[in-house]
Amino acid sequence: METGLEHYLIVSALLFSLGLLGVVLHRNLILMFMSLELMLNAANLTLVAFSRFNNDLDGQLLVFFIIAVAAAEVAIGLALIVALFRRRQTTSTEDIATLKL
Amino acid sequence: MNLSLCILEISVVFLGLAVLLLDLWTPPAGKRSLGYFAVAGLVLILGGSFLIEIPQTPETAFTGLFVHDGLALFFKRLFLLTAIGVLLLAREFAPRIPTGISEFYTITIFALSGMMFAASANHFVLAFVALELIAICFYILTGFLRHRTASLEAGVKYLILGALSSSFLVYGMALVYGTAGSMSLPEIAEATEATRTSPLFQLGMLLILVGLGFKIAVFPWQFWAPDVYQGAPAPITAFLAIGSKAAGFALLLRLNLSGLPMPADLLILIAAATILYGNLCALPQRNLKRLLGYSGIAHAGYLAMGLATGSQAGAEAILFYFGGYLFTAMAAFAVITIVSRETDTDDLSILYGLGKRSPLLALAMALAVVSLAGIPPLAGFFGKFLLFLAVLEQGPNFALHYLLAGVAIVGVAISIYYYFGIIRAMYWPRRTPLTSPIPTHLTLQIVIVISILGMLWLGMLPGYLVEIIDQSLNSL
Repeated sequence: METGLEHYLIVSALLFSLGLLGVVLHRNLILMFMSLELMLNAANLTLVAFSRFNNDLDGQLLVFFIIAVAAAEVAIGLALIVALFRRRQTTSTEDIATLKL
Repeated sequence: MNLSLCILEISVVFLGLAVLLLDLWTPPAGKRSLGYFAVAGLVLILGGSFLIEIPQTPETAFTGLFVHDGLALFFKRLFLLTAIGVLLLAREFAPRIPTGISEFYTITIFALSGMMFAASANHFVLAFVALELIAICFYILTGFLRHRTASLEAGVKYLILGALSSSFLVYGMALVYGTAGSMSLPEIAEATEATRTSPLFQLGMLLILVGLGFKIAVFPWQFWAPDVYQGAPAPITAFLAIGSKAAGFALLLRLNLSGLPMPADLLILIAAATILYGNLCALPQRNLKRLLGYSGIAHAGYLAMGLATGSQAGAEAILFYFGGYLFTAMAAFAVITIVSRETDTDDLSILYGLGKRSPLLALAMALAVVSLAGIPPLAGFFGKFLLFLAVLEQGPNFALHYLLAGVAIVGVAISIYYYFGIIRAMYWPRRTPLTSPIPTHLTLQIVIVISILGMLWLGMLPGYLVEIIDQSLNSL
């Protein structure tokens, strides 16, 4: 069986949904962050697949930017989570509820 | 390739780097004054922007990624003015920042450059990178007060939800790119009818709307706004409320004007729900910044009305509204920054007796809330007036617009109640715990006086700004 565009799209849609589920269900900030990375990589896979099957390099260009931006986001994110952990000794979203109605 | 088109952005980035470098040779006591240097630089760049003419037809650079036209130039001036005000507030705020005031200035300037690039984005790649530049700068700025749990929490919440929204945005971009075969907005707009009605394309556009809707904080993607507005340092809350929101609207307007409008019925529902949600939730609030957060959501709803019309009049109304909102929100946040200095809280009670403690600050705050409520003769009134006109104009084409205008009027009526609560706290407080006068630094007095004059000017003599907006939009 030949691997076609739709196979890539289905896999990336599954990855995206898994990532979204992870963000919604997890209560741990680090795990939520990992799930977010999964969602971004699902978008990357879609872009690369479209790029390959449309014979157009723009998609791959965006992928490079997404990888760079995701790295920056992780750096900031882990720094913030560590700073919060130092103050509150927790990485669970249930414990960070100072700001509420 | 025409680098000279992005001269403003390049200057802003270099200014940010210059502040960072100067920090190395500045003694700790003088670091706070670097804010003046940054402001002077931005004033120069703003002045320089008036030497740039609006081109007859849009000009592009970087193989079509970057576009220079009237809309972009208008938003860039708006962002520059906002950043000047924010940096002056940040200088006032500096003693409350434990370390790294120079970095605070620099990152604010980098966020500004992201907004300016977003105003000129004509291609998914530039739009994505610009939005992420804004977002990442704001994650840092929101969590900048590391000794305050509220600030860190707001930073983490903004980070998680912001990253979630950008995954939606980028996945939507990927789907649109795959079906339309291009990432350039004008080329996507040329796609055939069959492509544009395909489910994958429409799902992609919907996901892009989710990503941008988060930026402008409209229902149902508004839940981050109150927490982040409350937790962030006051100058950054002002920057979020004006700059970040305007950047999202600049991109949505760009999509609209490129011929890729979001579905009107969906936008009408979003606008109506946002107006009601923002105004109703603002009613019981006791925290000033949180109250302004909810009021900011309501204002995003009013602005989304202009988007829902999809017409030139709607776009003009949005631009005018932002012009008025700039002065109004700047006045309100300047007062909050000054008044919260001694008490270090943002509770409504810090305003008690402000009418006696500092008549200038009380007047500025009173005019700001009157303008936010949309009562004549201030800027907020004329902005809302233009938005209502644009919506009613579309009524004959699509009857839901009448309903939207009705909901907006209900929203305005609700908002008068909580805005009046602020005025009552200042002039007729239940108790006055503090009676000492509040010293206000000269630069902030200037910011406040300019904001007051701006509100009055745009409210009573709106013709000049309307003419500028006409010129800006006619070049498209």
